Order: sequence, then C-alpha cells, then structure tokens
Amino acid sequence: MAVYRRGYQRYTEGLTSHATRMMVMPRFTWEALLSQKFVLILLVVSMFWPLLCAGYIYLANHSELWQGLGGGFKKYFSINGDFFAIFMKAQSVYALILASVAGPGLIAPDLANNALPLYFSRPLTRGDYILSRMIVLLGLLSLVTIVPGMLLFAMQAGIAGGDWFWKHWYLGAAIFVGFTLYIVTVSLVAMTSSAYVKWRVVAGALVLAFFFLLAGAAEMVNSVFRVEWASTFNPGYALGAVWAEMLDIEIPDDKPGAFECAVFLIALSGGLLALLARKLRAVEVVK
Amino acid sequence: MSPVIEVDSLRVKLGRREILQGISCRLGVSGAGKAIGLLGPNGAGKSTLIQTLLGFHKPFAGRARILGFDCYSQAREVKARIGYMPENDSFIGNMTAVAFLRLMAEISGLPKAAALEKAHEVLFHVGLGESRYRQIGTYSLGMKQMAKLAQAIVHGPELVILDEPTNGLDPAARLRMIQLIKEMKEQHGMNVLLCSHLLTDVEQVCDEVVILKDGKIVHQADLEAERKSNRRFVQLDVIGDDRNLANALREAGAEGVSETQGQWRIVLPADVEIGSLWRLASRERLQIRKLTHRKDTLEEIFLKAVGHIRQTPRETPTEVPHGRL
Repeated sequence: MAVYRRGYQRYTEGLTSHATRMMVMPRFTWEALLSQKFVLILLVVSMFWPLLCAGYIYLANHSELWQGLGGGFKKYFSINGDFFAIFMKAQSVYALILASVAGPGLIAPDLANNALPLYFSRPLTRGDYILSRMIVLLGLLSLVTIVPGMLLFAMQAGIAGGDWFWKHWYLGAAIFVGFTLYIVTVSLVAMTSSAYVKWRVVAGALVLAFFFLLAGAAEMVNSVFRVEWASTFNPGYALGAVWAEMLDIEIPDDKPGAFECAVFLIALSGGLLALLARKLRAVEVVK
Repeated sequence: MSPVIEVDSLRVKLGRREILQGISCRLGVSGAGKAIGLLGPNGAGKSTLIQTLLGFHKPFAGRARILGFDCYSQAREVKARIGYMPENDSFIGNMTAVAFLRLMAEISGLPKAAALEKAHEVLFHVGLGESRYRQIGTYSLGMKQMAKLAQAIVHGPELVILDEPTNGLDPAARLRMIQLIKEMKEQHGMNVLLCSHLLTDVEQVCDEVVILKDGKIVHQADLEAERKSNRRFVQLDVIGDDRNLANALREAGAEGVSETQGQWRIVLPADVEIGSLWRLASRERLQIRKLTHRKDTLEEIFLKAVGHIRQTPRETPTEVPHGRL
C-alpha cells in the first residue's frame, strides 16, 4: 500500500545495537562529504605520492632493472625507516588539508541549528556524539594515511619476503601507531575548531594555522631564550620526533626526545577533548 | 499499573540556584495513552523539569523516573522510550525532511529500511508529505514545528515530551497540532507530556495537569475527574416568575442559587437527571432560555494555583446561603 494511504503506525519491531547507532552519523556525513567534488579531488591527488612510493618499492626490489646504472645507486634504493618517514610526512600534509575541509562542517551546523537536544534526547551520550564525529574524520584521514601506508608496507614485505618482514615489522607498527596518533590529534583540532568557530572558512583556516602558529611560537621561545625544549610544544616537531623514534631514525641530541613529545601530544589531545566536552551540551545553563 | 513519570523529592540546582525544590508526583499510567499538562508561570521550573526527565541535568537530591527507569543513571533506557520536541528551532542544516527524519529514526535504533519507511509515513501523517524532499531550512515556522513533532514520534516512543508545540502557529495549524496530539494518545496509545503557556491547548488535550510555581508543585489535578464533576454543575437562565424555583429544586433534591433576575446556578446530585430541570421549569411555568454545564476553566484553576485569584467561580456558591442573593 502507498505510504500516503497507509497512515502512521508506531514502530514496535526490534532495535539495532548501540554500535550500529554509533555508525549512523558517520555514514550520513561521509555520504555528504563524498558528494563534494573538492573532497573527491583531494582524495585522488593524495594517492599520487603513494603510487610513486609503490613504484619506488618495486624498483628497489628489482635490482636487475637498474644494474646498468652502477653500484652507487644501491644506497638510494633502500626501503627503511627514512623512506617511510618521508612518505608519512608527505601524506600528513594531505591529511591536514582534508581535515581543514571536512572538519569545520562537523559540529558547527549542529550548534547553529540547535540540533544537540535532538541527538542527546536519543540513546546517544555526549561521548558517543564526540566519538561519532571523530569516526568521520578518522575514517576519511585514514584513507590517505594508514591505508596507503600499510599497503606500501605489505607490498614491500610481500616482495622482499619473510626475512625482511621479521627484521622490519616495527616499521608497520610505526606507520599504524604514528599515523593514528597524527589523525587523532588533527581530528581533535578540527572538531574543536568547528565547535568554537561558526564560520566554516575561518574554522578551516584555524586548523591549518594551529600547527603553524604553535610552531612559530615554539621557535620564537627557542630563539629568545636560546633553548631547544620549546620545540616540544610544536605539534609538527612533536609528531616527527615520535615517528622518528618508532621508525628507528636518529634525533639530534640537543632536541627534545620522543617521550616528552608523546606526553605533550597526549596532554594536547586531552585538553582539546575537555574543550569539546565543555562546548557540547544539550542545553545552555545560565548559572 | 506503574506511573509514566515518577518524581520523588526531586531537587535540581543550576549553579547556586535551586530551580526544583523537592517536588514529588506520580503522573500518567503506563500504556494507557494519557496526556499530562505541565503549567506554570515563567521561571517556575517547567523546562528544568523536562530537561531533568531527559537526563540533561543531574538531580542534586531525590530522583526522577520514567516508565520505571531512573532518568539520570539509566538515561539510555529512558531515551530509547521517549520522543522530545524542543521549544526552539532544532533541526539539522542542509538536510531534506526525509533525510533528517531517517537520521533521527536510525539514531533511535530503527534499521535502515524501517527508518526510511517511517520517515515517509510520519511526514505524510503530520501534513508534510508533499514537501518532504525540501530542505528543512526553507520551511515556514509552522512546517518546522510539524517537522519537530515528526522527529519526536518517528520511532514510535511510549512517551512524547512536547515543549510549547503550538508556539507561533496560525489558528488552523494550531488546531491541526492539537488534533495530532489527541490522535497520538487516543489512537496510538502514546503518553504525552505537554508543556504550554496556552491553557486552552492543555485543557483540550490533557487528562492530568501539574502546576509549578517557584520550583514547587502548587496544584495537581485530574482534569478528567474535574470534567465529570463539572457535568453536575448547571447554569440556568429562565424567563418568568422564578420565586418558587429554589423550593422546587430543593424538593427535587437539587440545590440552586439565583445570581440575578432569571439566572440560576444549580448543583445536581448524582441521582438527579438533567432532564428533570425541564419538567420542573414546565411545572413552574418558566421558559428556559439557556442551560449550560458551568465548569471551572483551566485558566481559573491555574490563576488560583499561582495566587492571582483566591477562589474559582465554582467554589463561590458553597459560601453563600441558598435562595436569592
């Protein structure tokens, strides 16, 4: 029977699980994001560098193809921590741009249209809401970071064989954990910016500026006081230091170590979460 | 039968201010499809009570339960059973009404296919069928109100909390909204908690009413019982010599008071039929011009509860002697 003839009847059948409900908002948001041409173009462009890296891995593992070029070239064709560090740094730029495009539209519209009471009057807590919104960015950013990173690692392990894998498994773990740390931090910055800044363009610019402003401030402190410890508060450096440690790359002795940087990044994420939780309330209470 | 809403010594503080000051009540009957009116002057604590029932505020003391579940510690169970229509504009930008309702239904736990079906069904039900593919941002105020109602009932909740549902509606849309709320309780068995400043709306829809003032319950009434009792209270206008009417009424077992020439207020005992008044008037050679069931309006009950009048008109005759005033 046609819907308009049937009339309204209460729904009395079974309900979906909590996990399924949590994925509803990300599903709707991904649908909306992927209908934007700019996001699609960014996703396509961000695949160029991983494709080049894949070609590089192929060449590195097929020495017969460049035998004529002489032995000196061998050092340029080694797949190690340095190779994956360069790959991760390049991909992190795409991820940051994607976050600045997709992030501002996540929370600001809900706040502007007073939609939070509608969400929070349903079986969805504030934590669930934040996690749902975060899943949107984690899913999107992992497409340009973790997924190609792990595919490259798998490709190298597949071509180079089991021996290489057992000697270098930590590189796979470093790609996964390092990128996860990065996209969680970037997602929290983008969400907080979306929650506090109403205008989409300004919020997007703020996501990009956040990293540059803190980097500038840290360098200024270092120069004025002739110290190096302020680099800890530069998120770009802090992430690089943690990645370097995990990828077994040396960090200069006078610079802050990976442990301090990891502590700063965790504290930063905690602070951003607290700011988000403070802003996201079903009702504004005037005390 | 368990109550729909059970509030026990509930105290809610927002900052340093105590908004709800130890209120207790049991409202509605689970599964009975009753409507409860929540009334009170501005700042009485109505919205705070609703928000506490929705689990938005943690009680400072006491507890609030909906359908047997604690509103704060068992918020997930409570929220799975209720629908909420907020007072202010609440929607999701850049979404069509169908997409908006499908999202709301899926978050409430409906599977994808069922959510889509119910979204269409409920939009036709509230009269937005033809404009269901328009973005909600382009809707008029009345249409937005209907869309808000639709999202509150799309998942078929047991209790629907409506905060000022007729705000900003033109008379025709207001009547449509009232009709929909009546259908919700009478045809679909939903319980309704209606918070409104428009007493006529509450009077038309609700079976029970709670009046709040300064964070306390100052009156709780069963409007259904009130309506039944009011049926025995009659206002009679007659033409002719009515000097013997008081005695005739007393002989018939009723009591009457003449207010002015030809205007009578009569209390009929349960065993005296209203038809006997016609026979009595005929015997006394009186022509009946008007016979109405006089009742206290909700407005009168409300004004008395909040202290603006000392007694309702119905309470007046009990204080005057029988006979001509």
